[in-house]
Amino acid sequence: MNEKATHISRRRFLKILAGTSAVAALGPVRHAAAQPKQYGKLVDTIRCIGCKRCMSACKRWNRLKVERDEMITDRFTELSGNNFVVVNLRTDSQNTETQIYHHWTCQHCDKPACVGACPVRAITKLPGGHVVINEKKCIGCRYCYQSCPWKVPQFDFKKRVTRKCTLCNDKFPTNYVKPACVAACPVEALIFDYKDVVLREAVRRIERRKMPSYIMGVKEAGGTGVITILPTRPQYLGFVVAPEKVVNQDLDKLRITGAGLMGASAIAGGAYTYAALTQDKNKKNDASNE
Amino acid sequence: MNKTNDLPTYHRVHSMAFYVWIHLLIAFIGMGVYALVMSLVYNMEIFEFSLKIPWATMVSNYVFLVGSSVGLCMVSSLGLVFNLERYHSIVKRCLFMALIAIIFGMVSIMLHLGHPERPAIFTMLTPNPRSAMWGMGIVYPPYILFLALCFWLLIRQELIETASASSGLKARIYRLMALEGLRPYLQRKANLDHLESRIYRMLPLEGWGLSLDAEDADIKWARIFGAMAFITGLLAYTVESTLFAHTEARAFWYGALTPVDFYLGACMCGFAWILVAKIATHKVRSGNIPIHSKRLMFEMGNILALLLSVEILFIAYKMGHGLFDPVKGKTIMLLLKGPYSPAFWGIEIFIGLVLPIVMLLYSVKKERTTGLMIASVMVLIGYFVKRYDFVTAAQVYPAIKHGLPSYLPTLMETLLIAGIIAGVFLTYTLGEMFLPLNEER
Repeated sequence: MNEKATHISRRRFLKILAGTSAVAALGPVRHAAAQPKQYGKLVDTIRCIGCKRCMSACKRWNRLKVERDEMITDRFTELSGNNFVVVNLRTDSQNTETQIYHHWTCQHCDKPACVGACPVRAITKLPGGHVVINEKKCIGCRYCYQSCPWKVPQFDFKKRVTRKCTLCNDKFPTNYVKPACVAACPVEALIFDYKDVVLREAVRRIERRKMPSYIMGVKEAGGTGVITILPTRPQYLGFVVAPEKVVNQDLDKLRITGAGLMGASAIAGGAYTYAALTQDKNKKNDASNE
Repeated sequence: MNKTNDLPTYHRVHSMAFYVWIHLLIAFIGMGVYALVMSLVYNMEIFEFSLKIPWATMVSNYVFLVGSSVGLCMVSSLGLVFNLERYHSIVKRCLFMALIAIIFGMVSIMLHLGHPERPAIFTMLTPNPRSAMWGMGIVYPPYILFLALCFWLLIRQELIETASASSGLKARIYRLMALEGLRPYLQRKANLDHLESRIYRMLPLEGWGLSLDAEDADIKWARIFGAMAFITGLLAYTVESTLFAHTEARAFWYGALTPVDFYLGACMCGFAWILVAKIATHKVRSGNIPIHSKRLMFEMGNILALLLSVEILFIAYKMGHGLFDPVKGKTIMLLLKGPYSPAFWGIEIFIGLVLPIVMLLYSVKKERTTGLMIASVMVLIGYFVKRYDFVTAAQVYPAIKHGLPSYLPTLMETLLIAGIIAGVFLTYTLGEMFLPLNEER
């Protein structure tokens, strides 16, 4: 061994020792408490080329059946128990020259109506923002479908449960970087990151393009995890328009239930009043029978 | 409460019409079972005519039957809870029909679910009080229990009398139904000097067997359970109506008017069902209806006519109010001018409301019970179609474009529903033959 290479002076050694002691005396560095940040997914319909690779990747990852003809580019497909993601060609009704391919799936709402509707808590919103269905708990009532403003959760007739996109939540904890559809997109029409990053990216893309655009997902149904860039308002593209507020909110449910209970009380009161007013009729009937 | 003089006996009915009726019902039940087996062999898709309308005839049938049950419970409460003596003669029949309707309603909804075995487990393990459907799962079991207990207490004495008048297997069955064999066991337990004997001493054991004390105890507890059935029935139906009323994504269902609509319908159904059952049963048995029963029928006919009139005004208000909403208005136009208009105007309004009002008032004036019965049948048909339109029309609009989904039930779904309704009628017929439902002065 080369003695010169390993030799350090006494002064240098004492400096290192003092420095190490000082750092040790400070104690461990406290990290800021980790706040669960919600994920978001950007769908840029203007950049999408309609190749349907996202659909293929989703089917491969989730082991879904491929229906005949649904991978043909311009064939209209519906969400189903076998289709968690669909890509369809949509035309602007106000300007028929504008056509886009739209990647449609669960919007992973910030305050999902389906979570409040499920009677057995089979649907939950995870801290990361994913809205997932536990298929082992699902009773197959389809109430989530009725509650969803976009009718996303679909019933699988063979498994007899409701199914939908989970943002590939089952990739956690070992292999999660992005959902299968996002990883498969060849033109970066799909982005997956924290929601604030996704929103910033959406705004950046719109500003760079300098063409009329609409960002869907900021206010619809109280805000969604999926942010979609559209060339125009969703109703002109044939979408169901969700209200720009939280759907099925709890205070509203209380109001309606209260009205129902008042109605029930009115029925009971009406029956009592009818009985009290017509009691004497019994005696008249008895007299006429005699 | 007067005891009946007619003990239930097996009627050796030789008329061809009776055998045709029974065989027809069994045939429909068989078709329903066939449809169910096919859904298990293949998959549930044979019941669904469109992915866009997952709630169709099975859900509307469930709502119809449950509404009928609650309505019948309300009618029985007039005699049992509010103690109107002239209604005493129909209490047992109303309670029995309410019990059948709720049980077959539950069968209908269980067959609609993908996994009917799971609600009982996960409703308790992972409850979601925010969900109206969870609320239904909690409130309906006590309602069914109170109904069953109330009915059982009212027929218990007659069951013991029938057991005493019979022999062999028939006597054993009636004694088992009366739980008469349980009394000595409970009395032995109550006489012991253990801690749990206090619980047994709380039971009304002096009210078991045949005696005036027993009858008084039965009636007292029947009134208590009847009141609880009335309260839980109203509560359960409130929760059921809010299942639809909370669904903001379906504008036609959403809103505080939906529970009121449900209650009105339940009241109408209750009166209509008892009119049909009472008059039809009398006509089949003896052809003569006692004078006090006739007066009661005519009084109920008047009440039903009043309810139908209120329903017409309510529908006019609800439709008019809803037309101002852009989404609800389009669904309402489906009913007023769209594909649902023949069912709405023809069956819901004309056959279900307008014609019955005229027939009811005419029949009451001319004292014709047949007219009352026919009008009540029309009311029930109209209400069934109304529930079907209510459940399916809300789902037709709004829908993703590319064609409105079809809205006619599949053949298998129709067979299943026919089987369930045939089950209701068959159970009622058997109950009429073997249980003491009659109570005339």
